[in-house]
Amino acid sequence: MGEKSDVWQGTLALMALRTLESMGPLHGYGLARRIEQISGDRLQLNYGTLYPALLKLEQEGFIRSRWGLSDNNRRAKYYELTKAGLRQVKKAAAEWEQTTAILARFLTPAEEA
Amino acid sequence: MHKLRALWVRLRGLFGSGRNDDDFAAELESHVALHIEDGIRAGLSPEESRRQALICLGGAEQTRQAYRERRTLPWLETLLRDLAYSLRTLGKHRVATAVAILSIGLGIGANATIFSMVSRFVLRPAPVGDPSSLLAVYPGSGVGGFSWPLYKNLRDQAKSFSSVAGYLPMVPASIVGNGEPQRVWGQAVTTNFFDVAQLSMVHGRGFKSGEDHDPVVVVSAGLWQHQFRGDPELVGKTVTISGRAFTVVGIAPAAFHSIDQLFYGQFWVPLGSADQLAPTFAERNDRNASTVWVVGRLRSGETRTHTSAELNALAKRAALSYPETDKDDAFVLEEAGILPPTSRGLLIIFLTAIAIVALLVLAIAGANVANLQFAQAASRQREMAVRLALGATRGRLRRQMLMDSVLLGLGGGVLGVILSVWTTRALSALHLPVAIPIDIGFRVDWHVQLFTFALSVTSGLLLGVAPAWAAARPQLANALKGEDALARPGRRISLRNFLVVAQIAMSVVLLSITGLFLRSLQSAASIDIGFRAQGLLMMSVDPRVHGYTAERTVDFLSLLQERVAALPGVVSAVSTDIAPLSTLGDFDSFHAIGQKSTDKEDSRAALFTVTPGYFETMGIPRIAGRDFGGETATGPKTAIVNRAFVERVFGGANPIGQQVADSHATYSIVGVAGNVKSLSLGEDLQPVLYRSLQQYIAAEPSFMGYTLVVRTSGNPAAMMEPIRRQIHALDPAMAVFNEETMEEHVRAAYFLPHLAATLFGTFGFIGLVLAAVGLYGVMSYAVSRRTREIGIRMAMGAQPGTVERLILRQGLVLTLIAVVLGWPAAWMLSRLASSFLYGIQPHDVITFSMVPPFLISVALVACWIPARRAASIDPMRALRTE
Repeated sequence: MGEKSDVWQGTLALMALRTLESMGPLHGYGLARRIEQISGDRLQLNYGTLYPALLKLEQEGFIRSRWGLSDNNRRAKYYELTKAGLRQVKKAAAEWEQTTAILARFLTPAEEA
Repeated sequence: MHKLRALWVRLRGLFGSGRNDDDFAAELESHVALHIEDGIRAGLSPEESRRQALICLGGAEQTRQAYRERRTLPWLETLLRDLAYSLRTLGKHRVATAVAILSIGLGIGANATIFSMVSRFVLRPAPVGDPSSLLAVYPGSGVGGFSWPLYKNLRDQAKSFSSVAGYLPMVPASIVGNGEPQRVWGQAVTTNFFDVAQLSMVHGRGFKSGEDHDPVVVVSAGLWQHQFRGDPELVGKTVTISGRAFTVVGIAPAAFHSIDQLFYGQFWVPLGSADQLAPTFAERNDRNASTVWVVGRLRSGETRTHTSAELNALAKRAALSYPETDKDDAFVLEEAGILPPTSRGLLIIFLTAIAIVALLVLAIAGANVANLQFAQAASRQREMAVRLALGATRGRLRRQMLMDSVLLGLGGGVLGVILSVWTTRALSALHLPVAIPIDIGFRVDWHVQLFTFALSVTSGLLLGVAPAWAAARPQLANALKGEDALARPGRRISLRNFLVVAQIAMSVVLLSITGLFLRSLQSAASIDIGFRAQGLLMMSVDPRVHGYTAERTVDFLSLLQERVAALPGVVSAVSTDIAPLSTLGDFDSFHAIGQKSTDKEDSRAALFTVTPGYFETMGIPRIAGRDFGGETATGPKTAIVNRAFVERVFGGANPIGQQVADSHATYSIVGVAGNVKSLSLGEDLQPVLYRSLQQYIAAEPSFMGYTLVVRTSGNPAAMMEPIRRQIHALDPAMAVFNEETMEEHVRAAYFLPHLAATLFGTFGFIGLVLAAVGLYGVMSYAVSRRTREIGIRMAMGAQPGTVERLILRQGLVLTLIAVVLGWPAAWMLSRLASSFLYGIQPHDVITFSMVPPFLISVALVACWIPARRAASIDPMRALRTE
């Protein structure tokens, strides 16, 4: 797997939500790095695209943000999940699982037929 | 839900609240700093680390842009900016804006008014529950009712309906509440009527199934409010209707007066008790009397086609069993509350004709505004060129120009709605020449507002498209030099000229139609109505709805006539069932007895019943034979006929002593009278047969009551009070109605020609003014554009007169082209108006020969002012200024 994949349309929001769910509050840079790490560095994430996505999630009320201090005392904006966000993660994750499961059926070679 | 929240946050962002750009700049800065720190920790040099951080971010400016677009609604933002700019521009040119808004406002107001009529008379569903599944059933002729036995067949056999109700559509009565007794009209309904119509009462209840013959009544909300002063305890009380005691069981909703939405019903009684109110409804089981109107509630899931087929089968069965009376082999099915097909046709023609005219007015106004916009575009070409040169896209400029014209359209729309609110109110208040209360009120409802809004935006867009297109394509080089940049080299017919030609052509059409209706009014005024209205007073009473028998009614009327005739200032007093020109009346078919030559077709004649002396009192000449006198109910039947009757039935031969017959009886003719307009002004000469009131009052009691006609020597209106006192002296409970002088009555009969002439006259005038202003505008613009050319011509020795002629000729050529185009169109369209014209042909020679010269002279005046200006140009100044 030499090539890194681009982030598919619409999946970034779910990744961000899921990461926030498991990691707690994170600032934008930290979030971007976590997403890359979790993907096993297989994703080519353009950090800049993360911010409009976060803004959208915030406008929709799934996350909220506040300014805070980072580990090494630098001012940074932290994002955390809201209750609605928590519900949204569960819902969206379930939907994705279903979608990928269906797709998987198409992609695995037919065994019985 | 979340999407909506996001939209709301973004909308708020548009107006400056919420997060701003600085905040995001700080966030990005902190992002980069964190990334650099990480890089340094991993062993990169600070510069390399910074480079990496920026690469990973993928361009700070793009990120910022993407963020900004997500933060607010960018398209809305530019739209709002355009809007503010347009408002500023329009505000700067106050006069032009006002003229434009006024023009469009007049055009849209006309259309909104017409559409209010369409909405009221064509589109509005019946004021019942679930109107789409309530169907009215008509006999094959498309209008009217059924006999009671046939109604029962329908009710019992039509399986497509879940329930069927019948009603007598018009029942006259007198009602005593507070004050003087009032004549009111209502309906007699089967007890399930309100259930089938799904109407729930404001107070009380509808009728119960066992109440068919009970003296119970449902009153309208209006009657409750006015006659009973909104008495909250009215339900359960007893009221006196036509001299009988009825118990009020319910109060109907305020919006409901009748299913057909025209008749203004004030009360409802069970069908079985109708004959207590008026003797007219006695015979229920007569298959000949088609008095019961029918509505049915469609069973859910049932289709119209299937229902129609079932009803037609039913009609055929009835026609087989009763070939004498039931002749229809098909019934007509119509959504209840929609006008029956026969009356709808004429109304739709009328509305179409007038809608065409209103659209013409709007089109003329639109062309005018488009021309104004062109002038604006011309004066703004430098601005446009500069913006283009600075990199604005043409699309952006076009959007800006369109925004201007849409705003004008909307402004005109608002003005139009205000105007139409006013005109609909004025038109609703018009007095119809009908003796039965009819609700023709209409107003600007939400349908109309929606229509007006769509029309405003559409016309704004349409009239803006051409100027916007032209304005966004200036010849850049010319414009920046300050020269005319909209004129394309080598193009002689400009769009502006085209618009003005279209405008004048449309006003040719408009003026021709206006001319036709004015001529029609003029010719209506000279119609010979056949009687002398001056000095006549009329007043109606209906003793039969006060429980009078036929004999007592005759006694009452003759006593009243005697007493009134004895009053000072009264010449004579007679009674009739209905005055001429009342729109309503009886008809029957007649044929002469024993005349071989004329046994072709029976002739239809209008029927009037009168007392002796009627013709002298009315001023109708008696030409031959004698007047009525001494007729009795049981004696041989006599009749007096008019001249048209003699022509039609006897071919002009002397009819005195001859006999004629209708479906009921044979009459011997004792006299001949002059022709009168019997029902309406517009009718052709109509055969009329007069019968003796004494002889006919018992057999065929008048539905409309009896009208006392009094000839006075002075002012007839002054006699109203004394005569009313005489009536109440004879019976204090007698309701008096339709009190008016005969002149007022005749004026009301001019309702249609007056209405048409007023409407079309107004439209025609507006159109003419708009077209003249448009021509003036185009010519002034042409003069201002040719100032230099004219200066040169005059410097070369052209006389002011020559210059004047030059400009006049240009205007005249445009006008002539327009007349040549518009005249044939008007000629063809005038056929539409033919059903509403009195005494003139749709291709009226005077109208069609007068309109072109008239329009050309108006055009000459409109061109003359700019021509004068051109002629007064000082060549030196003209050459220096440019």
